[in-house]
Amino acid sequence: MTGFDVDCFGLTHVGRVRGNNEDQFLVATLEKQMRIEHSSIELEPLSGGTLGGRARLLMVADGVGGRAGGELASRVAVRGLSEYAAQAAGCFQRFDVSQEADFLSGLEQGIHRTHDLLIESYGPQAPATTLTMAVLAWPRTYIIHVGDSRAYRLRGRTRAFQRVTRDQTLGEYMIDAGAWSESQAARAQTSGALASAIGGSELRPTVNVVDLEPGDALVLCTDGLTKHLGDEEIGQIVGAAISAESACRLLVDRALQAGGSDNVTVIVARTAPAID
Amino acid sequence: MIQKKVCMVGVYGTGKTCLVQRFVHSIFSTRYQSTVGVKIDRKVVLVDDEPVTLLLWDLEGRDHSHDIAPSYLRGAHGLIYVVDGTRRDTLDQAFELRDLAERAAGPVPSVIALNKMDLRDDWVLESGDIDRLASESWHPLRTSAKTGEGVEAAFGWLARATVGGADKADT
Repeated sequence: MTGFDVDCFGLTHVGRVRGNNEDQFLVATLEKQMRIEHSSIELEPLSGGTLGGRARLLMVADGVGGRAGGELASRVAVRGLSEYAAQAAGCFQRFDVSQEADFLSGLEQGIHRTHDLLIESYGPQAPATTLTMAVLAWPRTYIIHVGDSRAYRLRGRTRAFQRVTRDQTLGEYMIDAGAWSESQAARAQTSGALASAIGGSELRPTVNVVDLEPGDALVLCTDGLTKHLGDEEIGQIVGAAISAESACRLLVDRALQAGGSDNVTVIVARTAPAID
Repeated sequence: MIQKKVCMVGVYGTGKTCLVQRFVHSIFSTRYQSTVGVKIDRKVVLVDDEPVTLLLWDLEGRDHSHDIAPSYLRGAHGLIYVVDGTRRDTLDQAFELRDLAERAAGPVPSVIALNKMDLRDDWVLESGDIDRLASESWHPLRTSAKTGEGVEAAFGWLARATVGGADKADT
């Protein structure tokens, strides 16, 4: 077990209602690797004991419906952030605090620059998009998030399926600010409006770190999935699937069976279980 | 600019996330949402007129099924242990967590935030507990994420200590 045996797959579908697909996704490998063939010294200190010099880059983006060019915004965001991630690919070789902070700052700057690009090009009514991005540099995973797409972690050891990100919607913000109760938020028609989006009127990227264990899985998805499937059902499907591809296909099929009211996009990344 | 990594450490439900939210965003929510992994926030503070960026690593709390992951603590310049003043077990576990955290992060400056001071009727910690903490080289501070009491003081003391050591922070 190298710790980097990750089975990744991504899938998108226009759904059963919308005429075009404004979602985008990306599954990529970032490589900057020193291959040690022979050495008189132990390998652990050289490699940091953790990283193989490769990382997986995963992104989902959901162009905001109802605004012109949602498809364009999600494409600009995925393309722009993939370039920033590639530039920063050498920064996560070790658990070095300053390098780690610089790496995260670089990705956040990338989000802000993409946002500025959209605003400068299209003005205050610029097309907008959500973005949930994970950089998996085993075992550490950095998750950068804007909007109401989501990242989940399935802990293989306990089967606990938990949401890592929090939806950046008006309802969630009003609850956090103590202005609305959860029942008030559930009743409010504007509750689901995005309170933060790339190209939107507000942009507040959040950063999470999750250290994975063998047998864990990550799920990134747009709200076309979570409008129709609850967290528990998503976790059960991912936990029971035989592969990342199988999990993605089952999740998208299930969302379509439930109505497919929106574009639906899913990425699943499964780490290999530990070998006893 | 100087950057300092500060980790929030404690049992689940002690108010680690609420303290960060109060300090960084000046908001407080009664809704409990457990943290998965780490949520990172940052805030620039002034230490002797010098800007210092605090990278606040809000670690998921310890519960019966999992302990704090030492990997999150590596490279920390300061630690804030958070205790719920209405749950004595969270103080008892803070002693265990200090052993774990110091093994991972080394002997870095730390504060122990005795949180939820606003729930005075349910408070179970006594002055003897505070004396014991002080005698065992803790730096205890009473805090309330709800009212903001002691929050600036806790983060401010630690920011100074990470730059110049505990002696500087006490001056």
